[in-house]
Amino acid sequence: MSAIHRLSLLGAVAFLAGCASVSPDGLRGDVAALTAGRTGGVQAALPAADPAARAQAQQSIQGWLAQPLTQDAAVRIALLNNPGLHARLAALGVADAERVQAITLPNPHLALGRFTNSQEREIERTLSFSLLDLVTLPWRTARQAERMQVATLQTAQEVVTLASDTRRAWLRAVAAEQVAAAHERMAEAAETGAELARRMARVGNWSRLQLAREQAVLHETRAQLARARLAAATEREQLSRRLGVWGLQAQYRLADQLPALPATALPADGIEATALRERLDVQAARRQLDTQAIRQGWSRVGAVFGDIGLAYTRNTTTERATGERDVKRGWELDLPLPLFDWGGAARTRAQAEVEQSAAQLQDTAVRARSEVRSAWRTYRTALDLARQQQGEVVPLRQFISDETTLRYNGMLASVWELLAEARASTQAVANAIEAQRDFWLAETDLQLALTGTSPGALQGLTSGAAATTTPQGH
Amino acid sequence: MNRRNFFSGAATAVAAASVSRVALAALPEPALQTSADTAPPLHPPTGRPYNPVVTLNGWTAPWRMNAGVKEFHLVAEPVVREVAPGFVVNMWGYNGQSPGPTIEVVEGDRVRIFVTNRLPEHTTIHWHGQRLPNGMDGVGGLNQPGIQPGKTFVYEFEARRPGTFMYHPHADEMVQMAMGMMGLWITHPNVGKGAAHPHIAKVQRDYAFLLNAFDVEPGSLTPKVNTMLDHNIWCFNSRVFPAISPLVARQGERVRIRVGNLTMTNHPIHLHGHEFEVTGTDGGPVPKSARWPEVTTDVAVGQMRQVDFIADEPGDWALHCHKSHHTMGAMGHSVPTMIGVDHRGLVGKIQKIVPDYMVMGERGMADMGAMEMPLPDNTFPMMTGTGPFGPLEMGGMFTTLKVRADQRAGDYRDPGDFKQPPGTQAYEWTGAPASTPRPARTDTPGTAPGAANARKPAASGHPH
Ligand SMILES: [Cu+2]
Repeated sequence: MSAIHRLSLLGAVAFLAGCASVSPDGLRGDVAALTAGRTGGVQAALPAADPAARAQAQQSIQGWLAQPLTQDAAVRIALLNNPGLHARLAALGVADAERVQAITLPNPHLALGRFTNSQEREIERTLSFSLLDLVTLPWRTARQAERMQVATLQTAQEVVTLASDTRRAWLRAVAAEQVAAAHERMAEAAETGAELARRMARVGNWSRLQLAREQAVLHETRAQLARARLAAATEREQLSRRLGVWGLQAQYRLADQLPALPATALPADGIEATALRERLDVQAARRQLDTQAIRQGWSRVGAVFGDIGLAYTRNTTTERATGERDVKRGWELDLPLPLFDWGGAARTRAQAEVEQSAAQLQDTAVRARSEVRSAWRTYRTALDLARQQQGEVVPLRQFISDETTLRYNGMLASVWELLAEARASTQAVANAIEAQRDFWLAETDLQLALTGTSPGALQGLTSGAAATTTPQGH
Repeated sequence: MNRRNFFSGAATAVAAASVSRVALAALPEPALQTSADTAPPLHPPTGRPYNPVVTLNGWTAPWRMNAGVKEFHLVAEPVVREVAPGFVVNMWGYNGQSPGPTIEVVEGDRVRIFVTNRLPEHTTIHWHGQRLPNGMDGVGGLNQPGIQPGKTFVYEFEARRPGTFMYHPHADEMVQMAMGMMGLWITHPNVGKGAAHPHIAKVQRDYAFLLNAFDVEPGSLTPKVNTMLDHNIWCFNSRVFPAISPLVARQGERVRIRVGNLTMTNHPIHLHGHEFEVTGTDGGPVPKSARWPEVTTDVAVGQMRQVDFIADEPGDWALHCHKSHHTMGAMGHSVPTMIGVDHRGLVGKIQKIVPDYMVMGERGMADMGAMEMPLPDNTFPMMTGTGPFGPLEMGGMFTTLKVRADQRAGDYRDPGDFKQPPGTQAYEWTGAPASTPRPARTDTPGTAPGAANARKPAASGHPH
């Protein structure tokens, strides 16, 4: 074999192996491209591989945390700072390196032997090379590329899920703080009522029974306040975990209200088509199917030829006595005989894997359609409920409070009725906040179901339906 | 109330479209009253002469003579009664008002009353206190079938005995009376020229009204018909003070007041400044030997009382029910007593929660009469009415008898506030102040004076 020949062979190998270079940013750019527009309308950066950019990001985080924390800022911080996401992105880099490793051609084997007998000294040089690896390299390259795309898609899903989880956690934390503030007002009303009741009993206008009733109201209200405060603290911790903050950083101030309800609702037209087109889990399932189909082609070759070895041998034999050399060159093809394993099992396996992937794609698509319909219905109902609570129930409660004040003016109602109505009014405000939160949670689910991935168990609407406590009349 | 309209003539109108003219072709036109003001006395244009009564915030039904028979036409119908200016109530009544028009006849008159029912349910009329044929007594089911909606019945009998009477339904009466269906009936004595009835004196002023009560939820319009006693609107002729006309008299005139009670509780009617005698009941005139002087007469449920007196003391004299809740407007009967409760430090807190909150009742309820605070729509205030010296803090069954030396005979116009002659009014003591007042309470609040102290060990300071 001529040197030119040899070089061209190596060149081909090198060319094939050339596309197998490691992505310098660990595929973060690919993930970022996939998640763009899927993190709830906020342009959020992913943690950079390079330390200078990371330091820059930490500064931005400090800046965001110094302000009352908005929902978008929370998403930005979580995507930059969540340790779980760091780990996941790093794992993606590892997988990329493994991919490159997997599609790099195995180094050729060089076998050297030195054999002597009384007459001769024989030196064997064999450069052997797995031919199958070379033959299947294009398939394997493509397959590894597909696998990396799937992995990238999966990581992107985790990014959008984290963004959604952060949004939800922010909504819950802000709502819980507002609800706790409402409970403080309710407790204040109950405290005032109980104090006035004490004074009533002290001067003999009320019995201990009447006083006890007002005190019971106070204790019930205080217990509710304690629960509301705990809920606020717990929800805040949930958010802090998503943000990946602790210590001083965790002492951020939350924005003091939820976003207003939208004027118009998202229409239900074409949502299923959008989900099938946009959802990352659907895309990943489709890639998986493609990969399996490619693997099936490769498995056919592999099944028939098994491990084909190609070796170049150059043996030198030297007459020990004369010093005369004899050089023996030649090719050696190592071919397994398909005597027992005709590759049927491998083919069946590949076939089954294709079927599995096809079924998984179908499953994902069916789930995506159903989830997006379900999410939209929840979204729509949540919007109606929130509008009803905010636009009808709260004004009604206010009206009832106002009318009770008028009755108090006419000495037709007592100050305790007035305070009870004030508590009911405040409860209605708290319910409205929860309904508003439920709407935004449903909206987050819908956005995720539409363009991101499966939102998992959909947010129910139980909390907003919390029964308004009827004031105890006196 | 607009008393200037008093003499604007009987504000009667003729019902036009509401009853079919064909159906009523042979009936007298029913007269309709649109005003809640007191109409001037109706001097009889036809029939036997008599001295007419003045129905407080009411009127007398006109009649027609038909072959010697006095014919009246009552239309039972839903009405909207102005109980006080700005406060109206959906009621059921007769001929546009509740109570219905007063029917005035003379002893011996033959009377024919057409009763047309425009209510959504059947009705009847019972002629309370009358001697009449059993079939005319108006108890639905007992004496007659109910008058179905749209139907007209005729009652006909002779007014046999002089006196003060009432009419009201005796069919679903609990509802129909709770809705205001009632009216007065006066049978004047048949006395010829110059002659006098042995027990019925001739009077210069003859006032008549019914006591009635409604339960109207503040902010609503229709009475609650199932309320038995806890009413909140206590009326003379479906009006409340200060919207009830005053009773006016010229000093020295003999005045008669006729009161009937169609509520479900008794009312001790009390007149200030004079003593009167009960000269009649719905059983007839009281013989002189059976009368005694009084300043209050209790008008029991379903009774009528006729009192006579000489209005000889000039002034503005209260005439009212002596049950203090009955001289109040709408009030919350379950509102706790706040007297003596220290509100310090709490007002601001309450105002933080209820911005329009004002303290009331801490010193009593008189604040209510002075403060003009917004109330629910169509709600009659608990305390209302102002006199020359400030708030009267009353509403409900309260009005005044106004006796004036210069009031013309037959003039029923409100003479305005009484000008008390100098030196005849209570005045403030301006001499040395009273000696150092003793503490208001020497006992612990909430305990009886002189009661043993429950916290004895701590109070006596026994060491432990
Ligand atoms: Cu009374």
